[in-house]
Amino acid sequence: MDTLTNLGLGFQAALSFENLLFCLFGVSLGTFVGVLPGIGALATISMCLPLTFYLAPMPAMIMLAGIFYGAQYGSSTASILLNLPGSAPAAITCLDGYPMAQQGRAGVALFLTTIASFVGGSFSIILMIGFAPILASFAISFSSADYFSIMILALVAASTLSNGSFIKGIAMVGVGLLLGMVGTDISSGVARYTFGTVEISDGISLIALAMGLFGVSEILSNLMHGEHAVVDARAITFKSLIPTRQDMREFWPAAGRGSVIGAIVGMLPGTGPTIATFMSYSAEKRLSKNPEKFGKGAIEGISSPEAANNSSVQAAFIPTLTLGIPGDAIMAVMLGGMLIHGITPGPQLIVDNPVLFWGVIASFWLGNIFLLILNIPLIGVWVRLLTVPYHVLYPAMLFFICIGVYSVNNSTFDVLLTLMFGVIGFGMMRFNFPAAPLLLGFVLGPLLEENFRRALVLSHGDLGVFVSRPVSLVFLVLTLIILLASVPQIRGGLTRLIRGRDAINE
Amino acid sequence: MLNFKNETTRSGVSCLRRAVLGAAAVAALAVGTMGGTFAAAAQDYPTKPVRIIVPFGPGGLADISMRLAGEQLTQILGQQFVVENHPGAGGVAAANQLLKSDPDGHTLVVMSNGTTIAMSLFNDLGYDPQTQFAPISTLAWFDLGLFASPSGDYATIGDFIAKAKAEPGQLNIGTVNPGSTQNLAAEYFRSATDIKVNIVAYRTSPDILAALIRGEIDLVVESPTAFAAAIKNDQAKMLAVTGAVRNPSHPDVPTTSEAGVEGYEVSGWNALYTLAGTPDDVIAKLNKAITEVAAMPEIQAKFAELGTTAKALSPEEMATQFENDRAHWAKIIESAGIEKR
Repeated sequence: MDTLTNLGLGFQAALSFENLLFCLFGVSLGTFVGVLPGIGALATISMCLPLTFYLAPMPAMIMLAGIFYGAQYGSSTASILLNLPGSAPAAITCLDGYPMAQQGRAGVALFLTTIASFVGGSFSIILMIGFAPILASFAISFSSADYFSIMILALVAASTLSNGSFIKGIAMVGVGLLLGMVGTDISSGVARYTFGTVEISDGISLIALAMGLFGVSEILSNLMHGEHAVVDARAITFKSLIPTRQDMREFWPAAGRGSVIGAIVGMLPGTGPTIATFMSYSAEKRLSKNPEKFGKGAIEGISSPEAANNSSVQAAFIPTLTLGIPGDAIMAVMLGGMLIHGITPGPQLIVDNPVLFWGVIASFWLGNIFLLILNIPLIGVWVRLLTVPYHVLYPAMLFFICIGVYSVNNSTFDVLLTLMFGVIGFGMMRFNFPAAPLLLGFVLGPLLEENFRRALVLSHGDLGVFVSRPVSLVFLVLTLIILLASVPQIRGGLTRLIRGRDAINE
Repeated sequence: MLNFKNETTRSGVSCLRRAVLGAAAVAALAVGTMGGTFAAAAQDYPTKPVRIIVPFGPGGLADISMRLAGEQLTQILGQQFVVENHPGAGGVAAANQLLKSDPDGHTLVVMSNGTTIAMSLFNDLGYDPQTQFAPISTLAWFDLGLFASPSGDYATIGDFIAKAKAEPGQLNIGTVNPGSTQNLAAEYFRSATDIKVNIVAYRTSPDILAALIRGEIDLVVESPTAFAAAIKNDQAKMLAVTGAVRNPSHPDVPTTSEAGVEGYEVSGWNALYTLAGTPDDVIAKLNKAITEVAAMPEIQAKFAELGTTAKALSPEEMATQFENDRAHWAKIIESAGIEKR
């Protein structure tokens, strides 16, 4: 009951005119930067941080948070329409979203990703309202050994990300792991594979890699193929946005699973939404009865990652607000924003300043409703993007990609790197090497190594730590099951086992 | 946030260094005599906006303190002082920005005590701050804190040392990345107290806090600023501060010397440097303005809130401070047996 009273207090505060206004401003700005490829929430929030010095703490927090989760709504738009992800987590939405657009179902895809975002966001907000302190303590209890085992599971699951050759998929994971090793090693401080270059001594920029492999390569490939047929604007009717009954039957379970995966990954400090979206996509493909339809416009292939994306960014607030432990750079900047206002996020915040704590949480949900209202009418506008001739659209997109990549580190080298990865990505496309496993390998590699080595330092070199910790053991067993299930004979046996059990149940 | 990392910069302490230092003295003389010719120019300085290159991302301690000071410098000197963030490569990216500029005092770079560590840590830093750069002044000074879990076994630093001696090799100290001031301060602590403990590296200070909460590590070396929220939330307890004197924000916490670790002291600073060859009177003008800023009650108060102390030095004192710190850390790095990279 206490929670409900507090939540009421929160809504009361969040519903004030000023707070609503900043919430609307934040989510609108977020949607906008989310749609633009490359320019992400981190750069935008950093730029807006000085503005918040002049605001009261609550509207400041509400606005910054709005930019963050608003950007996730927009990030899949360009993935679906143009095969250009707005951010790294949305790269996975290209796999099935773009084929849907090519089949003339862009409106449906945008509609469903918006709903999926709302479902995912709402799921984590409800978790936060009900169980934030418990979940935060749970998330914090994950040690290096546990992280390692989760990353191993994610990596093995990733082998299903591509449709083509299994060997090529695994090879690309390997390339991703190698690229992830570039830069200063966290355990020893030694610079690896930098060839003396200063620019990559902190590693290759994730944005540069994602924008190059997914964005620039797509533009290059379109240049090669000449002008595409331009969609007739009159063909886009409101009716074409409405999903079929079958679509919705596939949508709900996928969005639900995505929300759960996103929430779990999101609340663990240091993981981030890219891992959440990629994991949920591989989970869908694993669980699907017809995995062959993935990559050709599967509803589950867009719904689950989108739900996971929004669920994970909302869940990221759980350790930040309740323990004062930010999980990533964006959360760290937000935490800094609060500290500047003399607010200390952590267990004391809920006691000392319940109105602020619950007000901010209430604003998340109001913001998600704003985003829903904002994004559904926008679908018609976005779909009209397809009517813009490519010779106008692509230079503009390239321009935004360059600006976006530059804005992360103020580095012109990163822009060149993006273009280089664009050329590499183009070559990969031509020879059917999938880019998604590479990106996941790149994200997971450094985390995998860092946690493996730290776990061993802490256990004084005893490898047993990976099986003696229950959480770690569970994930390793899951990994083993996935591996075994890939062996055809064993898979047949498992299927028989499940069928048999169903028969008994009936 | 305020996860200030005392970034290390790569260092090129070549065997030529001493020879080069001599050459620098000659160069300084030459610049001194040339100063007269540029006197008219220096009177006008600054003639255009001045860039302050910060080697860290936005939002950190160095960034915020430089932005605060930049506002005041703009008032005093009549031109915009603009902070530009060039994070990366432990400060080398920022240093390169300065190396690309003209020696006219319109580009400044933030150097930290982390650079003095880097000079002994790296085989090739890519630049030599002692000869290629000219010191202007320090701006912010800070200490580090030694933290333990409030519910843990250690009420004092003495308790920790006693346990570490009783169980050699069993206890863990957590710090941010190897080569940071925090990490080297932990190495220094290990050798100064002659204990056998593991030093475990984490990516960020929130990661360290999480590790402390779940009991993975026994002691943390981190700045009181980065752990301010953790202290307030009773997630971490500061056993000692590493400065020569107590931290004014935490008057109850003893210094490491007071707590029984004789002579153990670590102080960090952020300072402004510009390119060597900049006219002396331009540097003098900048130094005067910074000294004025550091003495402002408003700046003093805001810096204290951030957990640092505003204090300026003369360019000569700055050069001495840098060289003393470099020699100090070189000795620690050598005695800890840390390999050069």
